[in-house]
Amino acid sequence: MPDADSAYGELAGSRGLELLSSCSTDPLTPLLVEAEGVPLQPALRGALGDGVEGIVGQLAYKRNKTFRFHVAYTQVPAAAEFAPRVFCIRRGRSTRDDEFYGFEARHSKLWTESTALNERFAVSTSPFQDPVWLRRLFSPSFVDWLRTAEPADFSFELAYGAVLGSVEQDDPGAAGLAALCDATAHVATRIREECEG
Amino acid sequence: MQLNKVGIGVIAFFGLGGLALAIAPFLLPIPTEVAIVLAPLGVIWALVALGLGLYARHSQRKADHQDWVFQQGLRGTATVLDAGSSAKVNEMPLMSLRLELEVPGSAKREVKRREIMPVFAAARMQPGLRLPVYVNPGDADDFILVW
Repeated sequence: MPDADSAYGELAGSRGLELLSSCSTDPLTPLLVEAEGVPLQPALRGALGDGVEGIVGQLAYKRNKTFRFHVAYTQVPAAAEFAPRVFCIRRGRSTRDDEFYGFEARHSKLWTESTALNERFAVSTSPFQDPVWLRRLFSPSFVDWLRTAEPADFSFELAYGAVLGSVEQDDPGAAGLAALCDATAHVATRIREECEG
Repeated sequence: MQLNKVGIGVIAFFGLGGLALAIAPFLLPIPTEVAIVLAPLGVIWALVALGLGLYARHSQRKADHQDWVFQQGLRGTATVLDAGSSAKVNEMPLMSLRLELEVPGSAKREVKRREIMPVFAAARMQPGLRLPVYVNPGDADDFILVW
């Protein structure tokens, strides 16, 4: 998409990020699993925010139809031992529409303690996630930030230390991509702070 | 495994459809040849629904027990020694894990565990990975692995 290319080029110039023609992906989070190895294209590498290094790129994959996301990826390895999985996904988001099963593995549960957060997001974790750590992560100030965070369609996935922020817009523009980087960096920093106690 | 809305719909479809097919031939004025086909078909459908319902109930009881172990169990650590998969269920790998369990008050021991995991979790099951476990205080072989 030429528009995406120009937006990524503009972001690279304004933030000093390295422009990559494409970037391969591993199945580290549910969204990346859905993409089945499709590379990020275009992609940028460098600082997403203060002290947060990562990659931002366009992720487009086909199931019955084409799903297009822009994602920012970074890592907080220490999170794996506190919270293997935390998915904070915008309500109404769809990542597939072609598979339906009557039984499913009981591998997650919804975290519904914060009404304010649940108005915007569906938050799911391991069914056996330590609830105390999760309450500390979703502090009132973090919940307040998530409720109003830009971009409006922002979601994030934390899986075994991999943090993936994402938006669903076809063409968010350089400003939208910058907001995605900032939001992902904010989330990663918050998770790191909580891991360090 | 747990039943979802699609599963409830499938059970309802086979259960109600099976009952209708099994009973209708005796209530409606239809030819005997048709009734001989429909009635057994209805019984088979109803048995399918019954089997799925029993499986769902078994799964729910297992889930309730796991919740109890999570609430009342001793927290420890499992270190992955070996992991592999040779089958998939609903696109998710059935992982065979060899683990070393460390639980306060007990000696380290090696156990085997099979878990159905999403792809992103299965990809992370590498030797050396440490995960929390909760062990039934009354049965050291009864534990849940937090992955």
